[in-house]
Amino acid sequence: MLTTAQPISAWPQTIEEFERLVQATQDDLVNFAFHQLGNQEDAEDAVQDVYVQAYRDRGKRRHITEVRLYLFRMVRNRCIDFHRLRLRRPADAVTDQVASSEDTFSVVAEQEQSKELHRLLEGIPSREAEVIRLRILSEMSFAEVALIVGTSVPTVKSRFRYGLDKLRRVLNVEGETRCTAKKLFVA
Amino acid sequence: MHCKEAIRCMTGLFDKEDTPESGPVREHLAKCPACRIYFEKQQELIERVKQPGRVAASHQFGARTMNAINHAAAQEAASTGTNWRWNGWLRWTVAACATALLILLIPMLTGRFGGNHQAFTALAQSIDAMSAVQSIHMTGRMRTIPGDNFELIGADYDYVPLEMWRQFNPSSKWRVEKPGRIVVMDGSASTLYISTANSYMTASPNAGFVEWLRPLLDPQSILQNELDAARAKQSDATIAKANGTITLTVQSDAKGDFKNSWAKNKSILESDHACIYTFDAATKLLKSLRVSIRAGGQEVTVLELNDIRYDEVLPDSLFALQIPAGATQIVTPAEMSAPATAILDPKDTATYFFNAFAQEDWSALLSVYPASTVPDGLKKYYGHVTVLSIGQPFQSGLYPGYFVPYQIRLADGSVKSHNLAVRNDNPQKRWMVDGGF
Repeated sequence: MLTTAQPISAWPQTIEEFERLVQATQDDLVNFAFHQLGNQEDAEDAVQDVYVQAYRDRGKRRHITEVRLYLFRMVRNRCIDFHRLRLRRPADAVTDQVASSEDTFSVVAEQEQSKELHRLLEGIPSREAEVIRLRILSEMSFAEVALIVGTSVPTVKSRFRYGLDKLRRVLNVEGETRCTAKKLFVA
Repeated sequence: MHCKEAIRCMTGLFDKEDTPESGPVREHLAKCPACRIYFEKQQELIERVKQPGRVAASHQFGARTMNAINHAAAQEAASTGTNWRWNGWLRWTVAACATALLILLIPMLTGRFGGNHQAFTALAQSIDAMSAVQSIHMTGRMRTIPGDNFELIGADYDYVPLEMWRQFNPSSKWRVEKPGRIVVMDGSASTLYISTANSYMTASPNAGFVEWLRPLLDPQSILQNELDAARAKQSDATIAKANGTITLTVQSDAKGDFKNSWAKNKSILESDHACIYTFDAATKLLKSLRVSIRAGGQEVTVLELNDIRYDEVLPDSLFALQIPAGATQIVTPAEMSAPATAILDPKDTATYFFNAFAQEDWSALLSVYPASTVPDGLKKYYGHVTVLSIGQPFQSGLYPGYFVPYQIRLADGSVKSHNLAVRNDNPQKRWMVDGGF
């Protein structure tokens, strides 16, 4: 059985190999797509489309050795398509699933934070938000991020730094309201 | 290394592994306080961005995806059109169905619902059923104080009616209402109106005005998480099916620091509690929710939602809140005026707050009380108060601020003892009074 930690160095060619690939990569890819799209339903649709495309193109992709990174790149492109063609429910109206041992109310509260974070990242340039998501939320190295978004490592680092600076400004403004809103008037 | 270069290279310190530039940057940070502060701010922000939990694929995702891949394989085979490939397509289909069935069955066999696979499956079906609803309208009651925050509960409080509406399509909107307090999210902003204080605040859609009640507006999410937690053997959940009803019971322990027990049992999360969900076995939809807490050796029901209706047409007027003229606006810490003297800690805040009432200095009061004006009711009740004592601040439960014990004599001669809630968890670190008066 493949695990998420193991590199996948050959593009799968059989149904059985694809099943192992799905098992090994589905959580990472859905997590990545979720932070791009802001809801579980669209994230899973995007990732499923990518797996099916990966299967259909298996013959053409035999030469690819960085399979996991290539899948991330495919999901990234699919998410961009989704953004363009978005027709589904708003982001906060769907089922999200967070892997957590906390009780349900805490977990759902975390989901709210995820949605809130998604909304805040939407407030900064998309190229910078994308790099922040990949580095922090998908735990990719800057070199891996560069391969996925198709640019150089220094550019990725610049986008990361500028994005953080802009995000801080957004958070400072939004944080004001949230701090006041929560638990106002405690008995 | 100069500051400009250090700032540029600093990003490398946030990579998964150190780079050759990391050493010189760290040396610079050790010597340069300004760059170190910038680095620490970046670090703090990254920690904030990190999620408390990772999003994972749903439990049926793998099976669904393999079905889709098998379907693609079948289409490929069919497009070539020979008999032996047709037989191969049948084999693929049988294999696909068997794989999908196995993937679906494995979690059921390893779940925690006492081997009641039929009920387990029914719960999963109810999640699917809930995902199709267009609106939810829930009516019930909770033990709380009218006008106080939506999180507050108390085993000794009387029941107060509670009503919640959620529209999913064509756009997401909701409304939560109890006597004294209404919150409406109209799709672009949420507005809180506290009728008992005639005050209001407008903020972002997820501002947190309804706190733990918010997840109830997404029952599908709650059920999905209960199911996943049970599958992962992470919850103490039981499920039973009888008389056309499925009942899911989930026990949870209180969360928070209770070295001082003041906040214990004042919210659901800060109580040892049980959530009991019931579903209609036929429609698979949630029928009711009851939450009970264990307080004083007894189990006390604090929340009941017994009337849950689906797909009602909810009028737009439900999601439009008219704020009465003259209502006081609740302001953010940045909008509050600066205090005349420095307020350094919770005790300072409480002292400043009551001194302002004692002197009827409303301008001073607005330095620690987040409002555009002081409501007349507060002026009348606390005006010319005499402070008898201000005690040592303490923390309790999940509250992010402090509680400050106080004893005051009101203008009518009566003595009041309580704990003032104060906090400074805002970007400016401004101390403000949050309640307890």
